[in-house]
Amino acid sequence: MLKNKKLITLLCATFALVLFAVACGSDDSDDASLLEEVQDRDSVRCGVRDALAGFAVLGADGSYSGFDVEFCRVVAAGVLGDANKVEFIPLETADRFTALQSGEVDVLIRNTTWTATRDGQEGANFLFTTFYDGQGFIVPADSGITSLEGLQDATICVAQGTTTELNLNAVFSARGINFTPAFFDTNTALQEAYEGGQCESYTGDASSLATYKFTSERDGGPAQYVIPEVISKEPLGPVVADGDTAWAQAVNWSIMATVQAWEFGLNSGNINSYSGDDPNVLNFLGAIDPSIEGLSTDFAVNVVSQVGNYQQIYARTLEPLGLPMAGSANRLWTDGGLLYTPPYR
Amino acid sequence: MSTTSRDDLRSSNLNPSSQGFTLWSDARTYRVAGQVIGVALVILLIWRLTNNLFSNLDRLNISRNFDFLTQPTNFAIAENWGFDTSLPRWRMLLIGLQNTILAAGGGIVLATILGTIVGIARLSSNWLVSKISTFYVETLRNIPPLVVIIFFSIAVFSSGPFPVFREATELKLPFSDSNWLILSNSRIGFPSFSAERNISAFWLLFAMTFLFAACMWAWRTVKSSKTGVPHRRVQWSLGVFVVLLVLWFFLLNGPYDWSWPSRTENGRRLASGFGTSAAYLSVTLAIAIYTASHIAEIVRGAILAIHKGQGEAATSLSLSSYQRYRFVILPQAFRRIIPNLINQYLNLTKNTSLAVAVGYAELASLTQTSIGNGAPAPQSILLMMCGYLGLSLIVSLIANVVNRSLRLKDR
Repeated sequence: MLKNKKLITLLCATFALVLFAVACGSDDSDDASLLEEVQDRDSVRCGVRDALAGFAVLGADGSYSGFDVEFCRVVAAGVLGDANKVEFIPLETADRFTALQSGEVDVLIRNTTWTATRDGQEGANFLFTTFYDGQGFIVPADSGITSLEGLQDATICVAQGTTTELNLNAVFSARGINFTPAFFDTNTALQEAYEGGQCESYTGDASSLATYKFTSERDGGPAQYVIPEVISKEPLGPVVADGDTAWAQAVNWSIMATVQAWEFGLNSGNINSYSGDDPNVLNFLGAIDPSIEGLSTDFAVNVVSQVGNYQQIYARTLEPLGLPMAGSANRLWTDGGLLYTPPYR
Repeated sequence: MSTTSRDDLRSSNLNPSSQGFTLWSDARTYRVAGQVIGVALVILLIWRLTNNLFSNLDRLNISRNFDFLTQPTNFAIAENWGFDTSLPRWRMLLIGLQNTILAAGGGIVLATILGTIVGIARLSSNWLVSKISTFYVETLRNIPPLVVIIFFSIAVFSSGPFPVFREATELKLPFSDSNWLILSNSRIGFPSFSAERNISAFWLLFAMTFLFAACMWAWRTVKSSKTGVPHRRVQWSLGVFVVLLVLWFFLLNGPYDWSWPSRTENGRRLASGFGTSAAYLSVTLAIAIYTASHIAEIVRGAILAIHKGQGEAATSLSLSSYQRYRFVILPQAFRRIIPNLINQYLNLTKNTSLAVAVGYAELASLTQTSIGNGAPAPQSILLMMCGYLGLSLIVSLIANVVNRSLRLKDR
C-alpha cells in the first residue's frame, strides 16, 4: 500500500505542476487596458530602432537618442509625468509587429509606415503621424545616375519586410525598369552592402537617405546623390495594438501636445512662465479637464517642459543631420505643412 | 522496485481474495491511469495554448485562416527563378523552399567531399597534412555557423578582394574572347549550357543509353559471379555510357552549346551564363565548411574504430595504401559513418535558415519578409516549420534507405 500512496502522491504532484503551467500560460485576455498596466509598471516600453541616424541611435554610453526616441519620452511624460520612465526595446524590422501584438512593447515608434494592410491585418492601430516621409533612392555621386530610369538592370539594396519593398516593386514594374533586389534585415548590413558596391542604389525613406548622406559624407565617405524623385507616401508615426482605446488615446494626445504647443508658441523654455490670457492656451495648460483616461489635466505641461514642442524636437534631432524642416511637409498647417491637431477644448 | 514490493505484487496476483483484491490495489490500474492522465494533461495544455492564441488573435483582429496564401506577393526576390511578383504568396514560399534545397544540397555535397578528405588527412602520416587538418577541425568545429556565414558574406564578398560587378574580373578562355568565370563581390558568373536543337531526341537517347548501361552492369555482375572473372562493371557501364552519349551528341549536331558568362553592356546584369549571388555562395560555402569539420571527425572516428588487425592484414597481403583504404578499411568504416552522417545532413539543412543574416532568399528569410508585409505571423511560422520538418524527413528517409542497403547483412 505504501507504494500506491507514493504513486498517488507522484500523480498529484504532476497534476498540480501541469495545472500550474496551464494557469501560468493562461491568456491575458482580461480586458484591463494597457494604460493601467503601464501605470502600475511605472514605465513605458517603447519599440525603437537602434541604428537609424537622426531617428533612433543607440549611443556608445547605452542611451538612445533621436526623433523617434524623443516621442517615446513624450509618451512617458504625458502618461507617467516623467519623460525618463521609458524602457527602450530595439526591434528588427521583421519583428516589430510581432513584438507589438504579443505585448512585448506598449508602443512602437520605429519609422513605421501607416498602411491599410497593416491597420487591418497586423492588428496595428496607427496614431498621429509624426513625420511625413516618402521613398527615395540614393546612388554614389560618381555613378552618374540621376533618374529612376538610370537604374535599369540595377541591383537595389532594400530593408526586409518593409513597405519599401512593395513600392519598389510596384513602381519599377509599372515603369518597366528591370531590377534585382538585395534585401537585408538590418540597416547596418544594408549600408555595408551598399558601401561595398554590391548594389548600385539603396532605397529607403527620403529622411533616412538624407541623414545617411549627411553622416557618411561628414565622416569622409564618398559623395552621395539622392535622386530627387520620391515614389511613395510614407506617413510615419506611433503604433499601438488594436482594440485598446484608452491606451491609444493617451498616447495620441501626448504626442499631439507637442504640435499644439508649437502652434501656441509654447516651448520647454516658456511654458512654465506663460502669463497670457488666451483661453485656448489656458485650456491646454490645464484650465479644463477633458477627462482623457490616464492623462492628468497638466499632462501637456509635463510633455512640453520635459521634452519640448515638435519644432524643438525636430531641431534637436534631425536638423543637425542635414534634414531641414523648411520645404518639407513636416511644418504647421498655418505654415503650409501637414501638422494639424484637433482643437484642445 | 524493491524485492518486497515485487513479492507483495506477486502474492496479490496469485491470491487475490486472501488480501481483499480490488481494482485499486492493482498496480497496473495506476500505471494505465497514470498514462491516461498524462495524455489528457498534454492534450489539455495544447488545447489551452491554442485557445489562448486564438483569443489573442481575435482580440487583435488578426486573421486565423490561410487566405493570405492566395494574395499576390507584390515584392521582388533576388534568387527568383523567373518568379513574377503578382503570383500568390504560396508560390513565393515554394521559391523559398527551392532556394533552401539548393543551399542544403550544395552544402551537403561540398561538406561530404571536404569532410572525407580532411578526416582521412587527419590520420595521414605526413606531419604537415595531419596538423593542418587538425587545426581546421579544431577551429571550425568551435565557431558558430552564423559567424562563419557572416564572415564569408563580409570578409570574402562584401568587403573582400573581389571588385564590384561593374568592374568584375573576367577570366578568359585561352585563344578566345569568351569568359569562363566572372568574379565580383555581388555575384559569380559560371558557364552554363544553352539548348540549341534536337533536345527531346537527345534526352530520349540519353534515357535509352542509361538503360543499356544498367543492363551492361547487370550482365557483368552475373557473369562475374558465375565464372569468377573480375566484373569491372564500373568501367564497362560507364565506358559504354560515355562513348554512346558522345556519339549521340555529335550525330544530333550538338543539342547543347556552352553559354559562356558575359555581362550586359551597362555592366549590371549577366547576359549569359549562370550566375550565383554572393549571398548563396556565402551560405553554402560557410555551412559546408562548418559541417565538414564535423564530418571529418565522424570519418576519422569510423576509420579508427576499424580493428588495427584489418589494416595490418591488408599490408601483409602487400596491398598498396590506396588498396588498403579502398578495399579493406573504407567499406567497413562506411557503415559506421552513415548514421552519424545523417545527423550532420539534418543539421546542415536546418542551418541554412541562418541565411536570413545575409539576405539569401530561402524559406526562413522569405517568411520573415512576408510577415513584415502583411502575412499573419502564426500561420506563416507554422508553414515554415512544416517546410523544414518535411525537408528533414525526406533527408532522413533517403539516408535510412542507404543505411539499410549498406549495413551488415546476416546470412
